[in-house]
Amino acid sequence: MAITSTESAAAAPRRGMNVLFSLTLIGLLLALWIVLGFATASFWTPLNISNLLRQGAMTAILAVGQTFVIITAGIDLSVGAIVGFSSVILAWLLQAGVPLWIAIAATLLLGVAIGAFHGFGIVRMGLPPFIITLATLTALRGIGLLITNGSTISITNEAFTNFARADFLGIPSLFWMVILIAVPAYVFLHLSRWGRYLFAVGSNSEAARLSGVNVTRTIYTAYILSATCAAFVGVLLASRIGIGNATQAEGWELQAIASSVIGGTSLFGAIGSVHGPLIGAFILATINNGANLLNVNSFWQRIITGVLIIVIVYFDQLRRRSSR
Amino acid sequence: MTLEQVAHRHDDSSARLTEANRVPLGAPILELKGLQKNYGYVQALKPATMTFLAGEIHAIVGENGAGKSTLIKLLTGVIPRTAGEIIWCGHPVALATPNEAIARGINAVHQEVVLCPHLTVAANLFLGDEINRNGLMRKRQMEKMAQAVLDDLGFGLPAHVPLGSLTIGQQQLVATARAAMRGTQFLIFDEPTAYLTRQESAQLFKLIRRLQSEGVTIVYISHRMEEVFEIADRVSVLRDGTHVGTRKIAETDENELIALMINRSIEQIYHKEKIAFGETILETRGLSGPGFENVSLSVRAGEIVGLYGLIGAGRSEFALGLYGRHPVSAGEVHWMGRMVDIKDERAAMELGIALAPESRRDQGLCLNLPIGLNINLPILRRLSHGPVIGRAEAASNADQQIRDLSIKTPSQRVLVSSMSGGNQQKIVIGKWLSHGARLFIFDEPTVGVDVGTKAEIYRLFAKLLKAGAGIILISSYLPEVYELADRLHVFRAGHLVGSHDFHAASHEDVLAEAIGI
Repeated sequence: MAITSTESAAAAPRRGMNVLFSLTLIGLLLALWIVLGFATASFWTPLNISNLLRQGAMTAILAVGQTFVIITAGIDLSVGAIVGFSSVILAWLLQAGVPLWIAIAATLLLGVAIGAFHGFGIVRMGLPPFIITLATLTALRGIGLLITNGSTISITNEAFTNFARADFLGIPSLFWMVILIAVPAYVFLHLSRWGRYLFAVGSNSEAARLSGVNVTRTIYTAYILSATCAAFVGVLLASRIGIGNATQAEGWELQAIASSVIGGTSLFGAIGSVHGPLIGAFILATINNGANLLNVNSFWQRIITGVLIIVIVYFDQLRRRSSR
Repeated sequence: MTLEQVAHRHDDSSARLTEANRVPLGAPILELKGLQKNYGYVQALKPATMTFLAGEIHAIVGENGAGKSTLIKLLTGVIPRTAGEIIWCGHPVALATPNEAIARGINAVHQEVVLCPHLTVAANLFLGDEINRNGLMRKRQMEKMAQAVLDDLGFGLPAHVPLGSLTIGQQQLVATARAAMRGTQFLIFDEPTAYLTRQESAQLFKLIRRLQSEGVTIVYISHRMEEVFEIADRVSVLRDGTHVGTRKIAETDENELIALMINRSIEQIYHKEKIAFGETILETRGLSGPGFENVSLSVRAGEIVGLYGLIGAGRSEFALGLYGRHPVSAGEVHWMGRMVDIKDERAAMELGIALAPESRRDQGLCLNLPIGLNINLPILRRLSHGPVIGRAEAASNADQQIRDLSIKTPSQRVLVSSMSGGNQQKIVIGKWLSHGARLFIFDEPTVGVDVGTKAEIYRLFAKLLKAGAGIILISSYLPEVYELADRLHVFRAGHLVGSHDFHAASHEDVLAEAIGI
């Protein structure tokens, strides 16, 4: 039909812009890799690439969960604390002789419970997301320290601690975990109606409610997914470092938010994707990795990361303005 | 202290006043010569040549997309022009930035008040122009001056309360006073009465006349014909970006203006067909809830039930209560003869009730999301196979609504925020047409909507009625409910105070019931 074809032709630029932005992000990532390949001898070694994928994996998973929350125009500051806390819980359960699979399931369920508590605080108590998740951030670190009495719990289960070091088909198992999360996350956010509801609630929750969207359930879903992703990362971290420690993953919530924002998520809600935060997380990981290889002072790494966040988000703003 | 004294507070403001004051009343103060604006290939304003005379009230009318907002944006320096000249007080001017426009004395009052709701009225009046001494704000002095200005204008508004605690109408008055205090010589009103009650409109008109008597030139943009005839000296008509004519108000009539605007006569706007009533779809008995009390009414298939009243009279609250948005405290709802308990929005939708809410912006639409998503939002469940949304079905449903309602957009992927008011309203309606319902509640469906779109919406009502639906039409625009409703209920202070069959009571009677005299 003539009408349909002209419509899709006129619409092409919009979609093109989004693809373009993803491409620029991937382009940036590739450019970083190429530059680092020339600048250092050790960047393109299998060992380093595996390392990079491992480093980026956990932030990537956190960033995906965080993105669900940010799309509803919220924020989840507790994810770093949940990571540390769930590493403690897992180690504690294993120490108590609980079978590994049950311990992991229980840790993940605890993530669900924490997320549900956030949902409760926001929907029923009317607290701003910033406040309720800030409160759990502080409290969870405290509970974790109480359980361990300020020390760490070692994990003796070797099968478990070997997992994070293992490769499968030449790719680190931790990166497979990213794929394990990202594929269903993509289906959920971009293909299912529940994903649309996240966008609708983030854009205008009253309009969504009057259109029959269960706003309460949508908000619960977003925070439960974010907290569960964080608990999952806690399990992965426990496997990687072989201990449970409540002070681990300090500041990871900011890494996750930064990855999400670099990946094009709008902190005002209703704009975001699954692939953006993934690329964002690996851009951050590459910068840290490259800086280490180049022997850049770790203090400088933080400065570079800060500058980069400003530059990328600024370009994203420019893009949005010009497409309007 | 009067408005003039405050306005002349600064030397520079009186300097620019003399520039404008050199233009004698009735002589051209602002002239457009071939003024033109293109967005890409779209000609939003075709070369326009118009003259505004000092001290006149000049109305501009036209349908949505006729180029009115483009013209305002050009005159207030918000967007650059493509071609043409703007002559201000005899000299060509650039008007490249909003600040330049304000510095020359050109100001605009918008339909949506763009001030800070959390600051006090006084703080808003002086925003960006605070009185300082030694770097500290003279808060009490400003409050006193603000109060003096408000009293001088006869608003009866307190200066020390937060702006957000006032009604939208009162906020609009504050916005107007703010423009007046800045020594404005040329003031543009963009549909100022869209959200105002009748009393508030009257107050605004008084203020406009007062500004005119002080030599201020007024440009008044409105969809409401009777307002144009009430207040304007001259009227210009825009159609599809073209200036199609300017008339003296005494030498024209409504029919001519509408003909100029849309090439359609007024009889064709309120489109009412005789449709036989069917069974009773909905009946409420003594329904009470937040903002409304003891409301009993019924809606039959094929019937339009009008709810008229001032804003805040309880009509919208009744609709929201019926729809399950707010809990109902007493009374019964009978649906198709059966008593039902509508506990939330979903339950209402499943029964077959659709609500196109009062505010498109706050309740109706997800503005920064695409048209397609908005249209499909109520029916995503139906469009899904398992967890996944059927993309082709979603796209074809959205395209169908866009076609059926002739929503003017190149694609369903365009964001709703870039659409005009009329098109946004059609998107709200499209949502509920694709969902389907037995009872449609339309709350203020034609606020900020042009005559042509209005006629389309009314014709759509007839289509729904013929298909066996019932309609509750809520409006603060009396002619609309008066001409369309088969049964008209009047609300005042949360109560149903009068019910009339079609044309059984006069305009004056209905109005008296609504106001309570």
